[in-house]
Amino acid sequence: MTTLSQALWIYMYLTLIGLIAVAVYGIVRRPNLIKKIIALSILGDTANTFIIFIGFRRGLATVPILPTLNPTLEQLIAFKNTAVDPLPQCLVLTAIVINMSVTAFLTALAIQLYRLYGTLDVREAVKLKW
Amino acid sequence: MTATKALEEEKTHSLIIGVGIAILLILTIAAVILGATGYTPSEKIRPLAQFYLYYAMNIFKKELWAATPEAVNSMVWDYRGYDTLFETSVFFLAVIGAVAVLRLPGVKDVTTKGIFSGRGLSLIVKVVTKFIVSFILIVAISIAIHGNLTPGGGFQAGAAVSIATLVALAAFSRIFLEERHITTKLMLPIRVIGVVGIGLVALAPALIALTGIFAFAMQNQPKVWAPNFGFPPGFGDFWLSGNQFYYNFLEFLAVGAGFTVIYLMYSIPELIYKEVLKKK
Repeated sequence: MTTLSQALWIYMYLTLIGLIAVAVYGIVRRPNLIKKIIALSILGDTANTFIIFIGFRRGLATVPILPTLNPTLEQLIAFKNTAVDPLPQCLVLTAIVINMSVTAFLTALAIQLYRLYGTLDVREAVKLKW
Repeated sequence: MTATKALEEEKTHSLIIGVGIAILLILTIAAVILGATGYTPSEKIRPLAQFYLYYAMNIFKKELWAATPEAVNSMVWDYRGYDTLFETSVFFLAVIGAVAVLRLPGVKDVTTKGIFSGRGLSLIVKVVTKFIVSFILIVAISIAIHGNLTPGGGFQAGAAVSIATLVALAAFSRIFLEERHITTKLMLPIRVIGVVGIGLVALAPALIALTGIFAFAMQNQPKVWAPNFGFPPGFGDFWLSGNQFYYNFLEFLAVGAGFTVIYLMYSIPELIYKEVLKKK
């Protein structure tokens, strides 16, 4: 691995870690519920990118899709030796949908909170009598 | 509590959270450097991944194959099928939760026709949106039915088709969709059809097993322990990959209709909500 690509990988990991920091700060420290939801989805997407990185392959990596329906044995072996890891992609695929549906549900809760109590600020919301 | 005391407490809280995040980051960096993620990216992938890649479309060893050239899809609906099945149920529950929170008590189907008479956005936006929405619909259906051959599948197609609803809502209005009968009344049954269909396809081997043939739930292709049952992998050029084509299409219906229901619920005008809440 050349120094440049090594530096690029370190840069990408640091970016992800920075994103996690931003997301955790947003979830813990921002009082607005919508901002909390945005931070939560940033955290989810960062985690997904992290998992995709784990499955990546150095060198001549190809997509995990065989381009033929009648492969020869050589093609299968070459596919096994060049394609990236499909398992993290499968996990992320399901995680994205769950993330999206959970975000939709949380947004519904936030909308209803605003409608009924007129605030999205959690500091105000905890003072309300339910 | 005096104002200064509250301010001091706030400062202590910030300090604790800052230190906490810093420790978390340092631990994450240390874990990655020490190889918790397995020295990524490596030149070789894990043996499990090699197994999936090698056998997903291995026509020479059909007792282990999934009959799909798309390795990710082979895992989503075959090798790790149960994972996806329960994930679909989580999605189903999330949509039910959102609908339960946003529903209007005592109102069966909300209609904004007659109450509002908005003109929507300008003509340029409307014409462009009409093109885009039709493209999105075509692409989504293509993603769904080619899910077992190309990148994508039921989830992605469903997410794409629900975005078409969202774009139409923003550019035209709710009335535009109501006139085309895209309402929660239609979408909820479609979603149920999708989810029940997935359940039926998953349980089809169990029904077959009642006749005495040994088969596993969610079984796709014949296996060593259940060699007499398997979905047809394809008819000539029309490649189905066993049950994966059905799963992808039904998941497309479930996810697309589910998200459409949520977006339709979001688009109910505040005025209607206030009226209903006032009555209560």
